[in-house]
Amino acid sequence: MELSNKSSKGKLIASGVIPFAFLVILIAYIFGPGSELLDLGVPLPEITMEKVDFLDSEIQVTVRNTGPIPVEVAMADINDRIQPAAVEPDRYLQRYETALVRIPFEWNEAEPYRIGITIEDGTRFEKEIEAAAPTLEPSLELVGFFAIIGTYVGIIPVMIGLLWLPFIKRISKQKYHFFLALTVGLLLFLGIDSVEEALDVSDESLADSFNGVLLVSTVLLISFLGLNYTGEKLVSRAKSSRITKPVAIALMISIGIGLHNFGEGLAIGAAVGLGSIAFSTFLIIGFALHNTTEGIAIAAPLSREKKVIGKLAAMGLIAGAPAIFGAWVGGFVYSPFTSVVFLSIGAGAIFQVIIIILKWIREEGDKNLSSIAVVSGIAAGMLIMYVTGMLI
Amino acid sequence: MVFILLVMFGISAVFVFPTISQAESEQKVFVTHSGAVVKTTGEVLDPLYTSATVEFDPMEYLRDFNYGRISQLADGTTLREFTVIANDDEIMEVSPGIFYNVWTFNGTVPGPTIRATEGDIVRINFINNGEKQHTMHFHGIHPAGMDGVFEPVGGNGGQFIYEFEAGPVGVHPYHCHVMPLEEHIVHGLYGVFIVDPKEKRPAADEMVMVLNGLDTDFDTENNFYAANTIPFYYQHHPIQINTDELIRVYVVNMVEFDPINNFHLHGNLYKYYPTGTDIVPSFYTDMITLSQTERGIMEFEYKYPGKYLFHAHKVEFSEKGWIGIFLVNENKERIESEGYGT
Repeated sequence: MELSNKSSKGKLIASGVIPFAFLVILIAYIFGPGSELLDLGVPLPEITMEKVDFLDSEIQVTVRNTGPIPVEVAMADINDRIQPAAVEPDRYLQRYETALVRIPFEWNEAEPYRIGITIEDGTRFEKEIEAAAPTLEPSLELVGFFAIIGTYVGIIPVMIGLLWLPFIKRISKQKYHFFLALTVGLLLFLGIDSVEEALDVSDESLADSFNGVLLVSTVLLISFLGLNYTGEKLVSRAKSSRITKPVAIALMISIGIGLHNFGEGLAIGAAVGLGSIAFSTFLIIGFALHNTTEGIAIAAPLSREKKVIGKLAAMGLIAGAPAIFGAWVGGFVYSPFTSVVFLSIGAGAIFQVIIIILKWIREEGDKNLSSIAVVSGIAAGMLIMYVTGMLI
Repeated sequence: MVFILLVMFGISAVFVFPTISQAESEQKVFVTHSGAVVKTTGEVLDPLYTSATVEFDPMEYLRDFNYGRISQLADGTTLREFTVIANDDEIMEVSPGIFYNVWTFNGTVPGPTIRATEGDIVRINFINNGEKQHTMHFHGIHPAGMDGVFEPVGGNGGQFIYEFEAGPVGVHPYHCHVMPLEEHIVHGLYGVFIVDPKEKRPAADEMVMVLNGLDTDFDTENNFYAANTIPFYYQHHPIQINTDELIRVYVVNMVEFDPINNFHLHGNLYKYYPTGTDIVPSFYTDMITLSQTERGIMEFEYKYPGKYLFHAHKVEFSEKGWIGIFLVNENKERIESEGYGT
């Protein structure tokens, strides 16, 4: 319909606004002052202890009001024994507001602790820590340490994986498709892994009010759609610009893997930060092995290209370096909420990359996604990841 | 690519570096259990070292004995009349910043200490201004109809007159006996009933300590323990006594949920009279274990001045508030008399 004058434009706006106005009236009627329709039940206060830091002679707890009503932090205890403490900036917490509770306490390393916070109505909330370990104080030395670990886990393995490029270059089209499909398998596994990790973190440390599953799916989908849009643009522009379609695809893959590796860095940094040294050693070895396969994923689409050394190095950095930033964030400023968000973004990115590669195989090949090369490639990719994943 | 790396670095820096340069102006100060002094820019959460602005004063309750309105019956027996009003809607700040719905006899937890001499007639005009049914059930010897169990008194002004002869000699609890009993007790409907022997005990500095607990989150575990309701009160406000003066403490254990409680005295031992029914002590000890409503009389004198703890040696209880201090002062009278005597 063509709008020819102002009155019809006004009608258009009105027809858009009127239902909205009715909606506002409806909400006001249900929730507004004087409404007794929803005056059911008693709202229960709830707080969540999102983070516990063990400092010199002091335990610090980050408390968030995750209930429907404001609360006051009134008392702190360690192992159910009342302790004098301080709350900063103050004890009044509005919905979703956080405060830092500082409990001076001579804690012992590697011992378990139960941290209790009591609010003004006498309700006590508890958080259990399996083993106390000194919280990392950010220092340049540690920043460097995490950078080195990130390099070992992210950049070097990805670069090693890229060294398979000459090998992939020399093989037949069938085998080339096998390696592309292998990449799909690898990524599929990583994507599922990220989702699982995100759900685990939200289960353990996020309050119910954050709706863990819905948070993960929302962020994942937004990440997927956003990257899908930019990815399509990049690939379609590839036709007219200097970069070729395989390069565009490899770039998208390395961005996706980079976002995923940021999540891996978070996991390592958080594990070191929480003092589980044995666990973090495992993580480092496991991720390093596992990430060489990510190099193959980037190398595969580029195998038909020439003069790719520089591009490969750049893509290796894009895919690997975020592990360093992840380790910094995870080690110094761990928060379960940002962890879940980053892991979900990574998962969305990976699923998007899978779609790109599948499309590429379909166009490259004979419009066929069920050839023996593709099917066995995806299966082999999943299996490789499963086996190397067991090392983590 | 460089752009992406820069963005990543920027995001990380925003997260990481504020925590590196954290210089703040410190304002308030508090002292920990181990004596360390800690500064904070925020508020102090401290059930121990801040002065509690509680409505109930444990120091006043400690030595407050109610002997009733006294009159003589025709046969010369002493009649002691008391009025006790039950309530169940009061919200009290039981520990700094923590509010709890207490159920009370005459507005306090524990209720008034009722004191009579063996053989006196005790008459209690009981008025229930609460919303629920309540009663007064005395431990001791009395007719079945005065037991406060099968005669629930309705809320909003229900009345009942309890009348019985005081006995036996000793220290006894009284409490509401309406079901669910645990709930009515835990919320605070209890108090102490002392029956003195006809031949008075020796003069002493007498005090009452009800050992009780508060389950503020209703999970059938106590969040606080105390002597006389307010956690840590006597640690922050020591009980002043004198050297070489007989101290007599009427102790009643009203803790629910936990099967036992106990009473440990520092720097001294006490003579213990279980239930106070005998005038000869059964034990000379610094540690007595008490089950629900178990009670007794403790007598001791301090030789040396100074600060002495008394607390549950079930340390969980003491670290949740059942702890106090006797501040023993030099007894000036004795010093002077000794000086003149020699």
